[in-house]
Amino acid sequence: MHSSIFDSLSIILKRDLMIAFRRSSTYITPLIFFLIVVTFFPLALGPQESLLSSLAPGVIWIAALLASLLAVETIFSEDFRDGTLDDFFISLEPSFILVFAKVTIHWLITGLPILAASSIAAIILYLPLDSFIPMLLSLLLGTSFMSLLGALGAALALGKSAILSAIIVLPFSVPTLLMGTSVITSSLNNQDFSGFLMIMGAMLALGIPGLCLLTVEALLLNYE
Amino acid sequence: MIKKWLIEMGSPPLFYKWSTKTLPWLFISAILILGIGLSWGLLFAPTDYKQGDVYRILYIHVPSAILGQSIFMFMAFCGFINVIWRAKISGMMLKSAAPIGVSFTLLALVTGSIWGKPTWGTWWVWDARLTSTLILFFIYAALIGLHSTIEDKTKADRAVSILSIVGLAIIPVIKKSVDWWQTLHQPSTFTITSSPSMSPDMYQPLLLCLVGFYLFFALLLTLNLRNEILERERTRNWVKQLLGVSS
Repeated sequence: MHSSIFDSLSIILKRDLMIAFRRSSTYITPLIFFLIVVTFFPLALGPQESLLSSLAPGVIWIAALLASLLAVETIFSEDFRDGTLDDFFISLEPSFILVFAKVTIHWLITGLPILAASSIAAIILYLPLDSFIPMLLSLLLGTSFMSLLGALGAALALGKSAILSAIIVLPFSVPTLLMGTSVITSSLNNQDFSGFLMIMGAMLALGIPGLCLLTVEALLLNYE
Repeated sequence: MIKKWLIEMGSPPLFYKWSTKTLPWLFISAILILGIGLSWGLLFAPTDYKQGDVYRILYIHVPSAILGQSIFMFMAFCGFINVIWRAKISGMMLKSAAPIGVSFTLLALVTGSIWGKPTWGTWWVWDARLTSTLILFFIYAALIGLHSTIEDKTKADRAVSILSIVGLAIIPVIKKSVDWWQTLHQPSTFTITSSPSMSPDMYQPLLLCLVGFYLFFALLLTLNLRNEILERERTRNWVKQLLGVSS
């Protein structure tokens, strides 16, 4: 029984990854969007090094939040439209696995590219090299949580306007934004930042079962 | 006995009939207590020696801030019941409570701002309480926005229920993180409500106002809920009989 759950998980992952890689826009769009948003801050605020490096944590995090919400609508919409989702709910596989796989895919095509691009963003915003590791850790935990929240938003707003899911999700992403920027700011000030990372980890640990189950509940609303 | 009553209240027509009987009492008690509390607070409570008469806005500000949060908890509780037991009326309650909750939260923000200008010299401070109340307002907006986009009302109720449960889990995290964010970025400049020093003749009207606000909420909720019931069950026979419309 165990192996079959992991089998179905890996089948979904393989299929969705293949679809994502066949269409390069899926993983390039969030990446470019992230870099464009980051570039706009120096253009709007001026290129002073001291100003930019103190603003860098906030700028990187706001850009990361927006970029990870950009592709949120696509998590379920295509499968919902072409009936793949129906097939899955008819099959006897636990629907939790489907949602978890979808969240993982969304993170792989948005969170991971953002993580890679964040180093470039950190360089052009003059973030000190010592803060790179805290930044990457906070983004790793934070973007994963955003993918979970985004999946719930996408499931609730399935078939509605794309902007709706972003508006639903944004107020709930406040803790992630605050903790994420706090991690980087603390490391800038040579303070201990492990506490913030632990809270983010705890949110992720509770979010994986909690938010995935609520997302299943939200998806099933469309099949009544 | 209580269980039977709860099951009866879960049925829209029975709730409607029961609330018709209790509504006048609720109305009278809400108006009476709110009236006494507000006039006591606004007219007869002693003037503050430091802030003068400005502080009297507290009799509206504090109860509405408390109500804004309690109504959210009430909504999440309804959402919980709605998701688990699919009780129709809990979804309607959730939907009816949302506009009241968002109004009280907005009232708290606006009165706080009006109070802040003469006492702090500014309309807005990025204080932990203010910030988390503002985010609560956005969460209410998200819930109401989501409900209005889904056509099928029962489904909309369930979707909002799911989101309100997430909200209940995340609001304590928001409060804590805003606290930490504040201590990280700036020292806490203002603490308005370190109020154990409040004298009893200022405290008593506040307590009465708070009870009055809760009753007022119960009154508004009942009225909203009755409208909601009538609207959703308008094709049912009991509504037609009630309104004297022949089918």
